[in-house]
Amino acid sequence: MDAMAGAAQLAGDAFLDIDQAVFAYPGRAPVVDGVSWRIAAGEVHCLVGRSGCGKTTLLQLAAGLLRPQTGHVRMQGREVVAPGPQLGFMFQAPTLLEWRTALDNVLLPVSLQRRPQPADVARAQALLDQLGLGGHAQRHPRQLSGGQQSRVALARALVLEPALLLLDEPFAALDAITRAELQDDLLRTCRQRGTTVLFVTHDITEAVYLGDRIAVLQAGRVADDIRVDLPAPRTQAMRHDAPFNRLCARVRASLDGAGA
Amino acid sequence: MSRPGPPFRSAWPYRALGAALLLALLGAWEWGARHSGLSALVLPAPSAIAASLWQGLRTGYFLPHARATLSALLLGLAGGGLAGLAIGIALAESPLLERVLRPYVVVSQVVPKLALAPLFVLWFGFGIPSTALITGLICFFPLMENTFTGLQQADAQRLQLFRMLGATRWQTLVRLKLPQALPAILAGLRMAVVLALVGAVVGEFIGASQGLGAVVIAAQGMMDTALMFAALVLIAAVGLLLYQATLWLERWLLRPYADRS
Repeated sequence: MDAMAGAAQLAGDAFLDIDQAVFAYPGRAPVVDGVSWRIAAGEVHCLVGRSGCGKTTLLQLAAGLLRPQTGHVRMQGREVVAPGPQLGFMFQAPTLLEWRTALDNVLLPVSLQRRPQPADVARAQALLDQLGLGGHAQRHPRQLSGGQQSRVALARALVLEPALLLLDEPFAALDAITRAELQDDLLRTCRQRGTTVLFVTHDITEAVYLGDRIAVLQAGRVADDIRVDLPAPRTQAMRHDAPFNRLCARVRASLDGAGA
Repeated sequence: MSRPGPPFRSAWPYRALGAALLLALLGAWEWGARHSGLSALVLPAPSAIAASLWQGLRTGYFLPHARATLSALLLGLAGGGLAGLAIGIALAESPLLERVLRPYVVVSQVVPKLALAPLFVLWFGFGIPSTALITGLICFFPLMENTFTGLQQADAQRLQLFRMLGATRWQTLVRLKLPQALPAILAGLRMAVVLALVGAVVGEFIGASQGLGAVVIAAQGMMDTALMFAALVLIAAVGLLLYQATLWLERWLLRPYADRS
C-alpha cells in the first residue's frame, strides 16, 4: 500500500509519466514490455540500449505516435493521445525539406498551423542565431553541412517552444567533434528554456554526457536506472575525468547484463 | 597515371568542332547529291532544301502550318499533362482508385494511340481537335506514371514528421509529397514534350490538312522532296526548342534541390 501511495505521489510530480506501458506489433512479441519511467520537468533523461531493444518504439509511445496496448503514457497528468505542439521531435536524419530555406524549415511547425507572424520569424531567426546559423537562414539544406542541417532540425524542433523534446539518435551520423558541439548546443538551449528532454542513443558516452538519468533498456524492459551525478553545466573536459568514465563503465556493465 | 582531363576548359571549342562536323557532313551530302546522279526526287541537295526552306519562310507559307502544329502540340501537352498529373495524384492518394482504375489506364496505353486517329477524325473532323487529342493521349502516360511513382517515394521519416506536426492530408500532399516528387514529375514532362511532337506530327499525317505533318504529306503528293526535307528541318527545330525550354524550366524549378556550395 505504501509503495502504491508513493508511486501515485511521484506520478503527480512527474512531467512525463510512462506507466507499465506495453506495446507489440500484431503477431509478434512485445517490443516494449511493461516499462515504467518518470521524468521531472526540466530534466534530461537518456534511453540507451542495443539496436532493437525497443528504444525508438518507447519514444514513439511517449510522442503519442503509438498508443500502448496496456498501461499509460501521461504528460502533466493527462493521457498522451496524439502528437501536438507541446512536443518537439528530432529524428535520426535531419529530415529537412530541400526545397525550402533553412528559415522556412525552422518555421514549418508554425506554417502548418497558421501563417507565420513577424514574431514567429523573429523567434526562428533568434534560434538560428543562437545555434550559430544566423547568416545561413536563406540557404537551402543542400548548401549546409551535416552538422548545420542537424542544427536547423534542432531549431525546428524548438520553434514552438515545446515543453518536451524527444530525440531519436539525432547526432548518430555526425563526426565526433561536430557531435560534441551539438550536444553542448542542445544542453545549453534546453537548460535555458527549461525544456524536458528524452534522448534515445546507443552511444554510452553521449548518454552520460547529456543525461541527468539514464534508463538502460533491454528486450523491451528497463534493465537499469542510473542517476548521473556529474556537475552542471557539463564541459567537454569532463569526458576525461574519472567520475565520467566510472559512469560509462557502469552503463556498459548494465548493457552487458551484469548490472541488472 | 590519371585519366587525361578534357583538352578544353570552355565549351566553345566543342561547339566549334560540332559545327565543323555538321558543315563537313552537309558538304559531303551536297557533293554526293550533285555528282552521284541520284534524282533530286530521292535525295535533294542541301542547297535545294535550304532554298525551299527560305522560300517557304519568306512567303509565309510555313507560318500557318507551324502555328497549327504548335497549337495542337501545346493544347495536347497541357491537356494530357494536366490530366496525367491529376490522375497520377488520384491513384497515388487513393489505393481504392488505384486498384480499380489501373487496369483501364494500362489498357488505354497499350492501344497504339495513332491507330485511333482515323476514329478521332470521324468523331471530331480534320484539324486541331483531333491532333490535339492524340497528342494529349500520348502525353498523358509519362506524366501520370512519373507523378504516381514520385508520390509513392515520399520519405517515411518526413511523412512521420508531418504527421507529428499535425499536417492535414492536403498539406502533406502539397507541401511534402508534390515538392518531393517534382524532379520525377519534370522528368516525365521532358519525356512528354518529345512524345508530344511525334504525336502532333504523325497525327497530322492522318487527321489534318494544316500543320507541318500535313506539309510533309502534301510534299509527298507533289513529289517535292526538298519541301518535305524543309518541313522536317522545321519539325526538328521545333523539337529542339521545346526540349531546351523544358530543360531550362527544369533547371530553374530545381535550383534549390541542387548542391550548391
